[in-house]
Amino acid sequence: MGAQRKRRSVLRGALNAYGALFLVFLYAPLVLIFVYSFNANPINMAIWSGFTTDWYKFLFGMQPAGAAFDSAFAESPDKIMAAVRNSLIVALSASTLSTIIGTATALAIARYHFFGKRAYQGLLLLPMLMPDIVLGLALLIFFVGLGMKLGLFTIVIGHCTFLSSYVFIVVSARLAGMDQSLERASADLGAGPWTTFRRITLPQIMPGVLGGFLLAFIISLDDVVITYFIAGVDSQTLPLFILAMMRRGVRPQVNALAVLLILFTFVIASIGLYLRSRRT
Amino acid sequence: MAGWARAIRKASAPAALLMPITLLLGVFFLVPLGIMVVYSFLEAGMYGGVTWTFYPYNYGRILGWPIGGGEEFDPVYLWIFLNSVRFALMTVVVTLLICYPAAFWVAGMPANRKTLILFLITLPFFANLLIRIYAWLLLLRPTGFINTILQALGVIAEPLNMIFTEFAVVVGLVYTLVPFMFLPIYANVERLDGALLQASQDLGATPLQTFRRVILPLTLPGIAGGSIIVFIPALGNFIIPAFLGGSKVQMTGNVIERQFLQARNWPFGASLTMLIMAVVMTLLLIYTVKIMRRGDDRQAAG
Repeated sequence: MGAQRKRRSVLRGALNAYGALFLVFLYAPLVLIFVYSFNANPINMAIWSGFTTDWYKFLFGMQPAGAAFDSAFAESPDKIMAAVRNSLIVALSASTLSTIIGTATALAIARYHFFGKRAYQGLLLLPMLMPDIVLGLALLIFFVGLGMKLGLFTIVIGHCTFLSSYVFIVVSARLAGMDQSLERASADLGAGPWTTFRRITLPQIMPGVLGGFLLAFIISLDDVVITYFIAGVDSQTLPLFILAMMRRGVRPQVNALAVLLILFTFVIASIGLYLRSRRT
Repeated sequence: MAGWARAIRKASAPAALLMPITLLLGVFFLVPLGIMVVYSFLEAGMYGGVTWTFYPYNYGRILGWPIGGGEEFDPVYLWIFLNSVRFALMTVVVTLLICYPAAFWVAGMPANRKTLILFLITLPFFANLLIRIYAWLLLLRPTGFINTILQALGVIAEPLNMIFTEFAVVVGLVYTLVPFMFLPIYANVERLDGALLQASQDLGATPLQTFRRVILPLTLPGIAGGSIIVFIPALGNFIIPAFLGGSKVQMTGNVIERQFLQARNWPFGASLTMLIMAVVMTLLLIYTVKIMRRGDDRQAAG
């Protein structure tokens, strides 16, 4: 018995050490970008040559382009702002639309029985499971075939196709954990379906709806591949801007931009995950 | 009459709720996929665009049958595709090896710490894909973090050549797809019945036997689910090989991207995409059939 307990505690210790390594693996690369973004050395970021916030200042156009700043970045503050604006427009519209569509879908699936429901649920997951490149190219062929001008509008539509599925899953989870007796009571007392939804169901699933919205917002904000194929020439989003920056090589300005985006994403994702995990 | 009206109203509620998603997925998902299938059987126009004639030779160019039109069979496409499958499989194996023990680590924690750790494990997944790739660029390049540290410590004299290798591509794929493997496995491990493990031990099984005969079969659904949702995005990826593999490591995604955006041969690009689609749909079909059978078994048993 003692031997067994000892073996178990050794196993637990080994697992804890392993877990710590696992977390290091997940976070070290991101921490590295954070540290590098304050390194004054513009050539080799791995060699520390003093603390600076110049790279951040540069992003906001506060630093005159000196010798350390190459001309490729001279016009970037304006471009970054345009990209940020595009990204926010897309993410807000796509996540709002997907939240409405995904919530309606989750309600239908959770509260009604109909023929072919299982197949329908399968279809709902398909856009998430499809590799991004397939979805992106299918949409590209489709939009171009229709003669639609590629731009923010086509990006929003493209994002909605897979974001609605994410919202559907998050809201479904919330609906599954919800007590239905209140809904029945409301119906028994003579409230119509819409009144019941507005006064009873919606308040209860609100954390799920908000969580779904925020997750959709983040995923839209970060999407690279699908956006890459269906963005027009003058509708660059922030990830596409970063993609272009990375193609020009590794530069300290990218670190600063990356850190800001990571922090922004983490804050929103944290709220979304918190809302999602909160019990009824 | 009233009953009839109520029946319609009852049926119209789910229909109305499902209308938006049906339109969205019908028009902007199923139809585009259908058009892509059609495109893969068309001939590329001289200056981009397509000619509307049945043209199976795109597939001939990839697979080596009906050779004709202006196309010639080139085994390189098939070879690159198989190579992509190999990369995706390596990614599945490595993420599995990483996530399996990690799932037990988290499952054995007290409940309040569990929530925090799960949150910490999920969070990096939300960092932009490009930024996560970029981070590995910073780590792996000749003047990157790893080489600088190793050189400073005197472990190596010359920088190791890590970037633009297969190793770098697998690392990138693994790093970006780890949560997809972790979550399904964890969901399974979490639900493991401690009584079964105890019973196995009491009946005299060694830990290894318990693992092989009890734990592994019980966590197999999570392993299968995780493997599929890691394999699929890994197979079609083109951003990671483009940045971490350089020009030396080619995956089908890169070839497809070039066919669409540079060569402007959309039909050929579409038929290459069909190769990926075929594998994805087959995997999903097998998985669904297995899951449904399992569900039926359970119903029969209950």
